[in-house]
Amino acid sequence: METNDLMIEAVNLSRTFGNKKAVIDMSFCVPRGEIFGLLGPNGAGKTTTIRMLTGQIDPTAGHARVAGCDVVKERAMLKRRIGVVFEDQNLYERLSARYNLAFSCWLYGLPKSRVDEALELVHLRDRAKEPIRAFSNGMKQRIMIARALLHRPPVLFLDEPGRGLDPIAAREVRQTIDHLRQEGMTILLTTHLMEEADLLCQRVGFIVNGRLVANDTPRNLKLSHGQRALAVTLDSDGAHNGALQEVTLNMDDPYDQGRLAQWIAQEKVRAIHSCEATLEDVFIEVAGVRPA
Amino acid sequence: MHIRNILAIARKDALDVLLNKTTMTLLITPIVLSILFAVITNLFGSHKTQILVYNPGNSAVVQVVSGAFSDSQVIAASSPADVASAFGPDGSHKSSPYAVGLVIPANFDVALRQGSHPQMSLYINGDDVNIQQRQLLQSAITNYSRVVADPSPPTSIITSTINPPAPTNIGQDLGTLYITTALLVSFMVSISLVGSLLVEEKEKKTLRMLMVSPASFGDVVVGKLLVGLGYQLLLSLVVMVIQGGFIGQVPLVLFFVLCGACFSLSLGLLLGSIFQSASSVGGVAGLVSIIFFIPGILVGPLFQAFQGTIVAQLIRILPSYYLADGIYNALTNKTVFSNALLDTIVVLGCTAILLLASVWTLRRQASVVAAI
Repeated sequence: METNDLMIEAVNLSRTFGNKKAVIDMSFCVPRGEIFGLLGPNGAGKTTTIRMLTGQIDPTAGHARVAGCDVVKERAMLKRRIGVVFEDQNLYERLSARYNLAFSCWLYGLPKSRVDEALELVHLRDRAKEPIRAFSNGMKQRIMIARALLHRPPVLFLDEPGRGLDPIAAREVRQTIDHLRQEGMTILLTTHLMEEADLLCQRVGFIVNGRLVANDTPRNLKLSHGQRALAVTLDSDGAHNGALQEVTLNMDDPYDQGRLAQWIAQEKVRAIHSCEATLEDVFIEVAGVRPA
Repeated sequence: MHIRNILAIARKDALDVLLNKTTMTLLITPIVLSILFAVITNLFGSHKTQILVYNPGNSAVVQVVSGAFSDSQVIAASSPADVASAFGPDGSHKSSPYAVGLVIPANFDVALRQGSHPQMSLYINGDDVNIQQRQLLQSAITNYSRVVADPSPPTSIITSTINPPAPTNIGQDLGTLYITTALLVSFMVSISLVGSLLVEEKEKKTLRMLMVSPASFGDVVVGKLLVGLGYQLLLSLVVMVIQGGFIGQVPLVLFFVLCGACFSLSLGLLLGSIFQSASSVGGVAGLVSIIFFIPGILVGPLFQAFQGTIVAQLIRILPSYYLADGIYNALTNKTVFSNALLDTIVVLGCTAILLLASVWTLRRQASVVAAI
C-alpha cells in the first residue's frame, strides 16, 4: 500500500495521565475510503486515541499522521482536514439546527449553501428552523454528523456514534455512515457495540487496557477464532410428527463428515448452519473481557 | 487569534444570550431597577418649585428665574414685605412653602438700560435649592442684566438664604446617587453574563467542538468578552437614558462606564475560568455582585456619614468604590484630577490583575481538561 493512501497512521502512540497509562504503543493505519472501528470496553483508551489523532491532546510518545498532517506539528492544517463527531451531543440546544451549522460555516469560512447541503445529507432540512432541544437523540446525532461534514473533510472521526440511541435512531445513523463510506470517506469510529462495528467496519481493532490486541477484518477475526463446525437440524429418528433434533458436527472430524453424508442420503436433514463466531465471541476470546 | 472566528463566536453568543431566559432576566433586571429608581425620584424628588415674586414693572427676569427650574410655579406677591416675611432674614431657619423669592424694583429693566445699578432682592430656601442651583440662579439673573444693559455693569443682587443648604445635600443628590447605583447594578450583568457564557461551553462540552475547529481558545475568550462588552455598554447607556444620566462631565462619565464594563468583564471571565457549571457561576456571581453593589449605594453624600468609621475603611478596599466615586463625581461635576486618576488607576489596575488571573487559570485548566 502506498504511504499517501494511508489517511490515518499511528506509530507507537502512547498517552499517560499522571501515573495512568491510557494508551500504550498503539500502531495501526487506515487506508483511504475505509471504515476502521476501534472496539473496546469503557475506559479502554478509545476516546483518548481519538483525542490524540484529532489534535485535542498531545501523545506522550509516538507519532501519528492524519490526512497527511502531523497531529502535533501541523494542528492548524489538521483541523481543516478532519471532522469529529463527539461522544457527547455537544450542540447549542437553544439555537436552531440551521444556526448550529451556520455557526460552523462561519468558523470555517464556508458559504451558507453548505448548510442546506449538509441538512439534506442527513435528511433534516425540513426541521432546520427548530431548536436543537426539540430534536430526538438520533436527530441530534445526525446534526452532529452534518456539522462534522460541512467543510468536506477527507477523514471523519466518530466517537461512539450509536451511544444512547434507540434501535431506529441507531439504524438511521448507521445508514448515514454507510452512505459516507460509499462516497469514499475514511472513517475511524469507536464503539463498544460489536454488532454496530460488524455492520459498518471493513476493519476493526480491539483495545484492552490501552493496548491494541487485534487488528483485522471482522470476517477474518470471526473465521480465525470461530469453530469449524456445522449446526444440523434433523428429523427425529422414525418419527415424522414434526419433532426436530439439533446436532453440532465438527467439519474436521471424518466420523462427523460421514454422519452428515449419511443423513443427507436419508433425507433427514432439515437445515444446516455454519457455527461462525460473533465479533463479541472473538473479542471475549482475544481480550479476555466483555466489550461493555 | 483570528478576527473571523472571534466574530463568529460573538455572533453566536449574542443570539444565544437573547434565547436564554436566565441571561435575558439578567439583562432586564438593571433596566427594571432603573425604571423603579426613576419612578422613586419622580415621586419623592419632584415637586413644583414655588417662586414668590414681587414684580410691579413686569420685568422679564421672572421668566429667566422660573426657567432655571424644570417645574416651577410663579406666585405674585402684593408687596416686598410679603416676600420678606415669607422667607425671613438671612441665615434664619423657618418653614416656607417657597423655594425662591424675588423682589424686583418697578423700573428694573429701564434702570438697567440707563446704566444705573438697580437692586434686586433674591431669597433662597436652602431646603429646596442647593448651592449649585443658587449659583445657577444668580448667574442667570446676571446674564439677563447683561443682555438688557450690555455693556453696562449688571444689577446688584442682595441674596438672603434661609435654611442654608449643606455643601452636599442628600435630598438634592438622590437622583445622582440613583444613577450611580443603577450603573453599578448594570455592571453586575457582565459578571454573570461572561462567566456563564464561558462555563456553558465547558458544561455542554461544546468547547471541545470549538477546539477541533479553526477557532483557538483565545478566539473563544475574546469572542465572549466582546459580547459581554457590547451588552454591557448598551445596557449602561439604556440605564443612563432612563435615569437622565447624561449630566455633569458626560465624557468622563462614559469613560468610567467603560472602565466599569472592563472591570466587571474581567471579574466574570475569572469566575467563568474557575468554575465548571453555570449554577456555581450564578451563585458566586450573585455574592460578588452584592459586594460590588455596596459602594454604589454608599458613594457621595452617604459616604460622608460613614467618614472615619470602619465601614468607610472597608468600603475603600473595594475597587468598585473607586468606580462609583469616579462616576458620582463626574455626574456631579466634582471631579478633581488627582481623584479621577486614582479612581482610574485602581479600577484599571484591578482589571489587569483579574485578566492575568483569568489567563493563568484558563491555561492551567486547559492542561487539566486535557487530562480528563
